[in-house]
Amino acid sequence: MIHEERVILMSRLQAYEDNEGKKDIATANYFRGDYIGLQMLKSVIYITIAAGIFYAGYVFYNLEDFLKSIYETDWIEYAKLLLTRYLVLVIGYALITYMVYAYRYAKAQKNLKKYYGGLKALNAMYHEEA
Amino acid sequence: MTQLLLAKETLKTFVGRNEVYLKPLGKFLLALAAFVMINSYTGYMERINSMSIVLVAALMCSFLPLNFIIICSAAFIILHMYALSMECALVALILFLILALVYFRFAPKDAVVVLLLPMCFYLKIPYVVPVCAGLLATPVSAVAVACGVVVYYMVSYVAGNVSGLSALEAEDMSGRFRYVVDGFLKNKTMVVVMIAFALTVIIVYLIRRLSIDHSWTIAIIAGTIAQMVVLLLGALLMDAEVSTIGIILGSLVSAGIAMVVEFLMFQMDYSRAENVQFEDDEYYYYVKAVPKVILSRPEKTVKKINAQRKKKKSH
Repeated sequence: MIHEERVILMSRLQAYEDNEGKKDIATANYFRGDYIGLQMLKSVIYITIAAGIFYAGYVFYNLEDFLKSIYETDWIEYAKLLLTRYLVLVIGYALITYMVYAYRYAKAQKNLKKYYGGLKALNAMYHEEA
Repeated sequence: MTQLLLAKETLKTFVGRNEVYLKPLGKFLLALAAFVMINSYTGYMERINSMSIVLVAALMCSFLPLNFIIICSAAFIILHMYALSMECALVALILFLILALVYFRFAPKDAVVVLLLPMCFYLKIPYVVPVCAGLLATPVSAVAVACGVVVYYMVSYVAGNVSGLSALEAEDMSGRFRYVVDGFLKNKTMVVVMIAFALTVIIVYLIRRLSIDHSWTIAIIAGTIAQMVVLLLGALLMDAEVSTIGIILGSLVSAGIAMVVEFLMFQMDYSRAENVQFEDDEYYYYVKAVPKVILSRPEKTVKKINAQRKKKKSH
């Protein structure tokens, strides 16, 4: 006989597992610190590439001025200035990443908790029947 | 209204049953529309300006993830720009790379907004995108909407200044690069539109989340009006070029489309809303429960008047 409640619960659990659940399980496989750390590392790499591309574009944009002032510029000062700007950018972006992924990790865990609750209920239904 | 609701239910069942075929079909049509628009708007590279290439690319997109359409569209734009001049392609490439690396790493689902917005600009109804983004997504989509505006104005600036670009000397690469970047970044209209659209997303989102009756409809109307006002005022204050009639007409059409979206996604029966209050040890709960409008399709029963004739046995 078809157990209606069980079928409903099973389809819900399966729907979650096939869609959002996949990501959530992958997320919760990490420890919180590892997950956020990994995402921050990725972020730093991405923002570094983006900043590099942006800076290359900037240099190309001001190519003439650059070439003119090539002998007059204090390159060490210039490098310091660039480095501070880069650091501010990276730290700011990493902070945003931290917030976003800390939230996502918490959400994934909450969803999974619900999912495991559902599994337990399903298990109980089978036991009842047996 | 009942007829419409019935039609909606029928549509829902139809989509539910045929999702397997409708999804690729939808993607195919979206990709096709996007590529055709890009080709007709820019179309500098002869080789990819043919229908066969567009069809092949759209077919490919139909069974790949949605974001592949966006990657393909970006590639089309960059190739067209490359045919015009290397510097334009460089500007487009830098812009797309930075968008992808900085923003779409967080919210890859929002990328579709960046595709839809320029398409709606082409159809003269860009105002519908921020309103719908506010209805269906989160306020963070304001960033994606702003990115879409930048992409559109970049492409449209290049498309509108082909003669100016070709007048510049070919050897002066940096000069041409500067010409393109200056042209589209110092565009006041773009800034006004960006601000107006981003604000609209946030306003629509905030209002539709309010616990008031007809919040979605109010959100659409308020968002559309706010958008029109900000666009017109901003254009006046910043001396930007906009077409007043275009904004008003486009906004009205957009509000109409947003209403259709509301009808499809959200139907509440406010006449049967219930406000309940209860408490437990720690909290008071003020709950407002609004039932959805649900209609069941009338079952068709076929009544046979003539009893079916039985096959005569041949002896």
